[in-house]
Amino acid sequence: MSKILIQAKNLQKKYKMSKTNIITALNGVDIEVQEGDFSAIVGPSGCGKSTLLHILGLLDKVDEGEYFLDGIDTKKIKDKTAHEIRAKKIGFIFQGFNLIPTLTSLENVMQAGKYGGMSLKQRKDRAIELLEMMGLKERMNHQPNELSGGQQQRVAIARALVNHPAIILADEPTGELDSKTSMEIIDLLKKLNTQENQTFLMVTHNLEVAQACKKIISLKDGKNG
Amino acid sequence: MFRRKLRTLLTVTGITVGIFAFTVMGSMALRFNKMIAGGKSYITGQITIMPKGSSYMGGSGSFLPLDTLDKIAKVEGVEAVAGGVSLLVDEPDPDNPIGSGFGQPATIEGMDLNSAYKNRNWQTIAMKSGRMLEKGDASDNIVVGYTIASDKKIKVGDKMKIRGRDFNVIGIADQTLTGPDMYVFMPLESARELLIESTPFLKSLKQSSEEAAKISDAALAKLPKAMRDQLIQAKAFKVEDLNQMAAASWKDGYDSEQVATRIKDRFKDQVLVLSPQKLGEQIDKASAIFNAIILGSAVIALVVGGFSIINTMLMSISERTKEIGIKKAIGASNRSVAWDYTLEAGFIGIVGGIIGAAVGGLAIVIINSKTRASGAEIFLIKSWFFGVVIAFSFVLGILAGLIPALRASKMKVVDAIREL
Repeated sequence: MSKILIQAKNLQKKYKMSKTNIITALNGVDIEVQEGDFSAIVGPSGCGKSTLLHILGLLDKVDEGEYFLDGIDTKKIKDKTAHEIRAKKIGFIFQGFNLIPTLTSLENVMQAGKYGGMSLKQRKDRAIELLEMMGLKERMNHQPNELSGGQQQRVAIARALVNHPAIILADEPTGELDSKTSMEIIDLLKKLNTQENQTFLMVTHNLEVAQACKKIISLKDGKNG
Repeated sequence: MFRRKLRTLLTVTGITVGIFAFTVMGSMALRFNKMIAGGKSYITGQITIMPKGSSYMGGSGSFLPLDTLDKIAKVEGVEAVAGGVSLLVDEPDPDNPIGSGFGQPATIEGMDLNSAYKNRNWQTIAMKSGRMLEKGDASDNIVVGYTIASDKKIKVGDKMKIRGRDFNVIGIADQTLTGPDMYVFMPLESARELLIESTPFLKSLKQSSEEAAKISDAALAKLPKAMRDQLIQAKAFKVEDLNQMAAASWKDGYDSEQVATRIKDRFKDQVLVLSPQKLGEQIDKASAIFNAIILGSAVIALVVGGFSIINTMLMSISERTKEIGIKKAIGASNRSVAWDYTLEAGFIGIVGGIIGAAVGGLAIVIINSKTRASGAEIFLIKSWFFGVVIAFSFVLGILAGLIPALRASKMKVVDAIREL
């Protein structure tokens, strides 16, 4: 049996907007992700998909429930060390690509390597290797505004892969791409999944994308639906 | 920082203005402090004696007769007394009697070469070339101060015309960055002659004295009383009595203050005595004012520059919430985020500092070259001071950047991410 990377039970999260207005984002969600999974979290807007992804990515904290990431009880992770786990164990891919606009493709990818504790040479070699793998050999010294949406997302994927993360969390990775490019990106992620055994967990609206995944986790009103 | 070029430029300009002011005011204060320090060292190395009826800042018609100086020299503890005369090298321009220009005008210092007097702190003035005046030097030998010599391109062996009279330059003093740079040293006798020439009252007194000297005592006795008294008075005039001020040195083992008090007590009807200690205190007060100028300009730079950096960085950080979110999401620690923005602020600070110091330095060089012709330079250029100014601007940037940087580092990732 494959190793369990994410095991979370009864996750609850409330947001206090004002004294009387409290929004329940997660209301007892259970989730399990195994090594080599290629899963999608689906559900209507406001069902708590993004909140779940943020909590799983240690960007936010849960109010109730337990969450083990690669065997680590996340309750015991201090704020000061959370960034190290984010850098080394988790890769992020965002909807809006979110590259740093003043840095070139190469520098964007290398920056994540820096946070992961790589030496300058290590991260440069790794970034070049990944960008070549993404078919961006000719675009390494271009800034994000000189790249197409698909190219930008591929830089973002390379950035997520730099530190050999246990899992890559993707929030609507194809949300801003046309359908043809979307499928190219999904094919690329799938290839990484099958060839490199890279684990993916993505949030998506796109049915076509969801259907391409091996496993679908459905949410509704903050619960498993 | 580079995305909002105009804003960064304006912030850098703010720092530049502050640092410019700091550089210029600071260099001016350095100059004055140096001058004051030189003056202090000189003035505290001697007991200064002036005729009663004059003040330290300006002369009067009063003089110290030789007889009085001889008596002062015999006071217990006094080693030697030297009379002195000082007057401007150039006669005042009748159309502009106040004169123009900054700093000290070129001044003739008449030196009593026969006196054993030596200033305790200024034993000698280092010479750039030639030698200092010595006992027995010809009356038309002079030594020229550094600034005068370099402005007028005077060399040892040249002739220099002062108030219509030719003098031989036997030495050029080395730069002291204080009073002596604007001095022409000459034997006391020659300085007295120039003083008489330029003072109508003294000139006529000298003439009548010479006339009176021709009249024998026997002939004098035959004259009416009124005329006789006048001639006796005129006869009594001696050029050697023309001492505008005098300096006394004290013997080893004696306390300068006690010696000064002793002179004051005995000659209080004739002279004013300035003790080294009291003058030193006065000078320290003046120098405190200049130090306040340096400090004040640094504070202005701090306020102007600091607030503009804080403002710019806060704006920049709120615009870059998203970027901070991304960095943290991909693993940046709070410390590395804070460090990035602090360094950025430090960079803005140091760029502004370098430009400000460069523009300030340029202004100083230009103003110095203009004022050199009409007096002394008003700025002192010191490379260490420029180093301090630039380091200050960097530290200022870092300090101003700390608040925004800490704010950025404390930003919750999820709040930053929501802006995505």
